[in-house]
Amino acid sequence: MRYQPLLALSACALCAPAFATQYLTAEQAQQAIFPDATTFRPQPLALNAAQMQQVEKLAAMPARSVNWRVVGAYKGDTLLGYMVLDEVTGKFELISYAVGLNPDASVKQVEIMTYRESHGGEIRLPAWRRQFIGKSAVGGGLSIGDGIANISGATLSCTHLTDGIRRIAAVAQVMLKK
Amino acid sequence: MILTKKLMAAALGATFLAAPLAASASEAELLARMEKMSAELEQLKAELKASMQKTNELEKRQQDMATAAAPAAPAVTLPTPVVASVEPSHTGPVTILSGYGEINYNRPTKDASAAQADIRRAVIAIEHRFDEKTKMVSEFEWEHGVVSASDQGESEIEQLYIEREFGGGLRGKVGLFLIPSGLLNTNHEPTAYYGVERNFVETAIIPSTWREVGVGLSGDTDAGLTWDVGVTTGFDLGKWDATSTEGRDSPLGSIHQEGQFAKSRDLAVHGALNWRGIPGLLLGGSIFSGKAGHNTEGFAANDARITLYDLHARYTPGLWDLSALYARGQISNTEALNDTFVGSPTPVPKSFDGWYTQAAYQLLKSGDYTLSPFVRYEQFNTAKSYAFVPQGLGVAPTPDEKVTTVGANLKVGEGVVLKADYQKFKEDKSRDRLNLGMGFAY
Repeated sequence: MRYQPLLALSACALCAPAFATQYLTAEQAQQAIFPDATTFRPQPLALNAAQMQQVEKLAAMPARSVNWRVVGAYKGDTLLGYMVLDEVTGKFELISYAVGLNPDASVKQVEIMTYRESHGGEIRLPAWRRQFIGKSAVGGGLSIGDGIANISGATLSCTHLTDGIRRIAAVAQVMLKK
Repeated sequence: MILTKKLMAAALGATFLAAPLAASASEAELLARMEKMSAELEQLKAELKASMQKTNELEKRQQDMATAAAPAAPAVTLPTPVVASVEPSHTGPVTILSGYGEINYNRPTKDASAAQADIRRAVIAIEHRFDEKTKMVSEFEWEHGVVSASDQGESEIEQLYIEREFGGGLRGKVGLFLIPSGLLNTNHEPTAYYGVERNFVETAIIPSTWREVGVGLSGDTDAGLTWDVGVTTGFDLGKWDATSTEGRDSPLGSIHQEGQFAKSRDLAVHGALNWRGIPGLLLGGSIFSGKAGHNTEGFAANDARITLYDLHARYTPGLWDLSALYARGQISNTEALNDTFVGSPTPVPKSFDGWYTQAAYQLLKSGDYTLSPFVRYEQFNTAKSYAFVPQGLGVAPTPDEKVTTVGANLKVGEGVVLKADYQKFKEDKSRDRLNLGMGFAY
């Protein structure tokens, strides 16, 4: 299986002390997004060509990845939603983040897991991240200047992150919406 | 998809490699070879399809297994949620090469003979991450095209520091780093500001690109506050040249030390606060203060203290980009020093200040192109006041210069910008000019 080495690596990563620049682990992120969940199940997604095209159309940008790291959050047997893990490049370095999605594919919450740039850490601010809540790929408002306010001094980081979230919202719309 | 592309590329490559041979071979041989290759390609395609199907099946089976296992999970009695271990898989590159540059053309409208084109700067930046917590940041810069003893260019190190992360967003810095003053100094790539030239207030009053050697500490809070504090080298008033106009262009720019045998008897402290609690809004200010005489023997201003502060705001609602900034510098205890400069055109000012306000609007966005016209009004004075000198011996303070800049930035993608603007000067009208520029950052 394609994910097995990753899972093994992740297990090692979980044992290691938390990174200094790491604000949340994947585990902490899923807890923060779905505090009521009792079970989390990895549900990795693989998009086919047609699905990639749909995502590109919805997000108005390249779909980038075939494979997506998705975790389903359940309370008992009830699906509460999904968490998608992803990385985008800020100015120079990778930003790791998690997007919580409702079963209807709208954004539930955005959590920044690691941020490594010297400047622009303001994307972690709750007030800025709140702008995404409730929005979906079909509803719009998931672009800088159109629904999401820019962060002065962190333009690249917030633009790339916003693009990443819009892409995930599109993936959710195509693949996960119930 | 990617695999298919790779295969196609390999097939194409093979075709090209075979080409010289084919030239000497007969057409029939060529056809046979092509047919063979095409058959091989078909076979590879089929294999790829089978392999993809297998992957899909396996993934489906895994999902089914997960679903089947679900009811068995003691959901109700489970004290802690089951952890889904899908940790991010990579941490990014270790050494990052980046850079920026700009080439500008200025044409004074009243004296076309003074028109100039200049490679303002070319910068190579290298960032290296030693580990998750520690990194080195550096910027190497050339200005004005050619650097040699007989040329006017400069070669300089603009940043060279180590940054260490202490957790929770707390970061320490040691080395040569940018002073967090104003809006432009720490954000000075040509793609980051409007207009061909950097604004006057943040070049003449705040001497960007302004860096000092020292230590700094930064952090932020959940409420949106970012803070910076530090102890660094400061200015060297001993470098003041009362006979040149350099001090009139930028008082602090003429006495900055840039980490070059920087006199360090007197150190300076700085602090900055920036608040971004409301998305799209930035309110901030900074202060930098330090003595600049360095206890130099025979120097007339060993008690001189240089203090520079600024207040700034930027608001980006929707497609608007609005900003305003005020900066003021003071140099104390300059009376005795200026006595020695009597008769020279440029004594040391007691105060200098300036402010600007700017509005830009993203008018057009079509594919990769973004056109943002802007207008900026600024008012600045590099010699607002002088310390007392006996009647008749001093130089009169200069009036405030007022500059209106109207123009547009055309961005191509994220990294390239073409700029054009016109600048109108209220006091020295001979400086009115048309500017064109190209810039990039990656």
